[in-house]
Amino acid sequence: MENEEAKKHQKKPGTGINTFLHVLQQAVIFIAAILAVMVLCGSYVVIESGNGTQLYNIRNEEADTKFEDSKLFNKLLGNSITDVVRYGAIRGQMETDGEFDGKKVIDTTAFAGRYNSLQSEYITARYYLDDLINWSKNGFTYEDVYMTGEEADQFLSRFNLVTTVDLDSDSYSGSAKYLNSDLDSAVVIKDVSGNLFDTGAYQREDENVTVLRNRYRTVDGKNIEDHVAIFDEYYKLCANIKQTADDLALNYNEYLKYQELYQPGQSNVVYFIRKTVGDDVLVYTNLDTKAKNLTVLKQELLDSCMRSVYYDPVNMTYETDTQIEESTLRYVMNGFDYAYPENTQVMVGIRSDLSYAQDGFNKARNEFNKYVPFLGQYLVCAVVCIIIYLLLLALLTVREGVAGRKESGEVIIRLHREDRIPTEIMIAAAGMIVFLVYMLISRVINTAWQSMGNNAMIAFGAVFVLAVSLLFSFFYYSFVRRIKAGTLWRDSLIRRFGKWVLKWIRYAYRHWDLVLRVWVPFGIFVLFHMVMLLVISAGSLYSVPRFLIAMLILIVVDIQIGILIYRSARARQTILEGIRKISEGDTEYKVNEKGMQGDNLVMARAVNSIGDSVKNAVETSMKDERLKADLITNVSHDIKTPLTSIINYVDLIKRQNVQDPQIREYIQVLDAKSQRLKQLTDDLVEASKISSGNIVLQWEKINLVELLHQTIGEFSEKFGEKRLYPVFNSPADNVCILADSRRIWRVMENLFNNIYKYALEGTRVYIDLELRQDAENHEKWVVLAVKNISAKPLKVNPNELTERFIRGDESRTTEGSGLGLSIAKNLVEIQKGVLEIVMDGDLFKVNLYFPLLEEQIN
Amino acid sequence: MTNILVCDDDKEIVDAIEIYLNQEGYHIYKAYDGEQAIQVLKEQNIHLLIIDIMMPKLDGIHATLKIREYSSIPIIFLSAKSEDTDKILGLNIGADDYVTKPFNPLELVARVKSNLRRYTQLGNLNVENNALFTAGGLCINDETKEVTVDGENVKLTPIEYNILLLLVKNQGKVFSINQIYESIWNEEAIGADNTVAVHIRHIREKIEINPKEPRYLKVVWGVGYKIEKQ
Repeated sequence: MENEEAKKHQKKPGTGINTFLHVLQQAVIFIAAILAVMVLCGSYVVIESGNGTQLYNIRNEEADTKFEDSKLFNKLLGNSITDVVRYGAIRGQMETDGEFDGKKVIDTTAFAGRYNSLQSEYITARYYLDDLINWSKNGFTYEDVYMTGEEADQFLSRFNLVTTVDLDSDSYSGSAKYLNSDLDSAVVIKDVSGNLFDTGAYQREDENVTVLRNRYRTVDGKNIEDHVAIFDEYYKLCANIKQTADDLALNYNEYLKYQELYQPGQSNVVYFIRKTVGDDVLVYTNLDTKAKNLTVLKQELLDSCMRSVYYDPVNMTYETDTQIEESTLRYVMNGFDYAYPENTQVMVGIRSDLSYAQDGFNKARNEFNKYVPFLGQYLVCAVVCIIIYLLLLALLTVREGVAGRKESGEVIIRLHREDRIPTEIMIAAAGMIVFLVYMLISRVINTAWQSMGNNAMIAFGAVFVLAVSLLFSFFYYSFVRRIKAGTLWRDSLIRRFGKWVLKWIRYAYRHWDLVLRVWVPFGIFVLFHMVMLLVISAGSLYSVPRFLIAMLILIVVDIQIGILIYRSARARQTILEGIRKISEGDTEYKVNEKGMQGDNLVMARAVNSIGDSVKNAVETSMKDERLKADLITNVSHDIKTPLTSIINYVDLIKRQNVQDPQIREYIQVLDAKSQRLKQLTDDLVEASKISSGNIVLQWEKINLVELLHQTIGEFSEKFGEKRLYPVFNSPADNVCILADSRRIWRVMENLFNNIYKYALEGTRVYIDLELRQDAENHEKWVVLAVKNISAKPLKVNPNELTERFIRGDESRTTEGSGLGLSIAKNLVEIQKGVLEIVMDGDLFKVNLYFPLLEEQIN
Repeated sequence: MTNILVCDDDKEIVDAIEIYLNQEGYHIYKAYDGEQAIQVLKEQNIHLLIIDIMMPKLDGIHATLKIREYSSIPIIFLSAKSEDTDKILGLNIGADDYVTKPFNPLELVARVKSNLRRYTQLGNLNVENNALFTAGGLCINDETKEVTVDGENVKLTPIEYNILLLLVKNQGKVFSINQIYESIWNEEAIGADNTVAVHIRHIREKIEINPKEPRYLKVVWGVGYKIEKQ
């Protein structure tokens, strides 16, 4: 075992290294994937803030930048400043003295036109703030009404109610006297009745008008139509009201959101906005401003904030430690210039501790610190990993599949199991996988990607890349091995197919006569039928005679062909029968050649001539055997006559009472050898007779148990002489077979004589009878096993022992002709049995098999 | 004086036989072919003929056929032909015995004696006796418990005697070992062994000239034993 293991290792040197390199390669790509996905993930941050969820790219951040100096920070700050500026503007619309005031009076026309400068006289309607918001939320309902002039007269006011703003009020000396968006607090308003509409002078016409339903009344309890005298003005006023209500409703939502986001003491962003409108100083902040002047506040801001912006246009001051420029701030504020007069002072700062989560600074800082300092390194590492991967790819491409070198220096390529798959199938599989991966990326991953967290993304990305890499390696190295071993082309289906086609072409070329004989008639046959079918189908309905004639020809020809095929098959059947008969030994059989044609006739004649040859050969060999047996018999007769004299005269000499011991010994030798010569000639004759089949058997029922008792009895003295103890086991009293009584005795005699001659003295001889059933055809067999211990080591092959003249001892000193077992075997065989010799060490065993003769039940 | 004619084309064999038979007190005439044998037979008073089959001029078979036309003397074939068919042919055309070459001189002498005894004594055995059983030259007197083969006394043990008696009484019938056992020992033969076979062998050795080719007590291998009906 150990040796084999060692061999295995020797066989493929460097396999361990290769495996290591493969694992390393996959590990490297895995790491590269992790890093790449991390770089990808770290190159932007997702921040949820007041403006919703936004992606911020941080790819271009310098690795050693602090968060508060980063572009990300500045972007977030910029967003916050924008928010705060907007929030401040909205607060002005919604609040009175820093609290939300639903009863705040809104001049709708002024509000709607807040981006423009206000006219000195205009028509307006003033509503409460919460009425407008609710109106917008509930919706504006218009009705198309047909009004006669009189009805219109009734509907509209008789006057346009004009509001005049006193633009030249002297009560204010600052730069801003009022704000369009919140006129009520800053402006003196007069209602002036003007533009008297004279019904007498101007006749209204009947017309279709669109009327806005008054959901709410104005502050003064009026309807819209009460303010105007003509429909043009009415429509304008309605539009203003609607726009104001919609804008306010929108701003109200924003207001709620910002209130939450920038509430005092709950935000990382600190802001302070102060503006002066008319005589009022308005402050919007989330700082505690009680009893503090601007300088103190500013200091406080600087202390608690990591970064801040301070803008004071009154003093021409802009201070900041951020990248936000004054112009940017101005630009933002200009978007809300209706809310911010030029004297507005703004301070915005970000708290150092960033302890509040909701505005995204916290998360941004964390993400920033997590990625930005390492992003560059990750990238470098990823690139290095990829380079290593490529190097390993190159190295392994060189090493892959090399199992060692032959002595001639030739490289041995060891192929894997998958390298045996036909090349095309492999290519198709690879293509399929590429397609699947593409589909996966384009259909699934693209969408799934966005809903994943960073860690999940990294894990998924890395595993995905690893899987793709493993698949790539599987195919790539397989192809590398194939190319090296030269099996890329050899194992391809195209080549196999090509070979197959070539084989057929060659076959057709070699056996062109056969091809010609089979395919050409078949082609003609098919062609004929096609033509006939054409004729039939073309003339089917219109020319009945042609149709009938073609049909007739077709039927006649087909019947002829059918008869031909049947005849050929019948002839082949006859020939087959002949071959079967001859192969079964009936050499006299002749195939009837009558009525055969072509190949079949040739075949039949060949079969007959084979039969004749076989018959002749069998006859010749039989004759030869018989001649041989006769020759041996005759020779043995001729030997026996002089042998008789020798034996007799030797015997006579023995009776002379010779005293010389030497001569006595010589006589002894002569006696023994002449006796043996006698035995030999007898055995020789018998052996030749049996093997030439020159004996007639007299079959009778033989009880083997009886026979063995008789045999053991016969040999009792001989065995006693050598102290051999026969042990006989039998399954029953009667075990019968069909055999020739004398021949079966001869078999036993030979076997027992053999034991007598060669068994070790003082041992037991086992004679076991046994019944056995053939598993296949359920034939019952009798097995007789005769076992003994050999006196001398057995040096012969068991098969040779049954050959003529072979004996266990090669020196041939013991008596016996060497024909005993051969005769026994032949005798057993002609009695339809089997003789088998088994040797195991000194155990000599002869097995006899005979078909059991089942006793007839009376 | 008993005259025996020995006829063989091999002079040495004839001479050897002469030596053996002379020792037994027989007078020998010699012939070297069939014609000579017939000649001698006509001229002399021959009591027994030993004749070879394969001989020049006239072979043993044809000579015997001629002799049998006028003589009933015992004829023993002495031949190198050892096939069963040869023996059967020989015995059928009128020979009394068949000895194959090379032969055991003692056996030949024994056969000669046996044949002569039968030839000379058989005619006299006309005594009607219920206790007397015979089979050829084998004779059992159940009263005196004596067994003779061609007049020669044979000594058998009681069991051997009983077995032989059983077989002689039922000449021609084959007895299996079990049957013999049951009738002799009067016990059921459960797994009878080779005891009977050994006894039979002993009997054969005592009553047969050549136990391997028994004349009386024949072994039907795989079936049993029998005394041939004669």
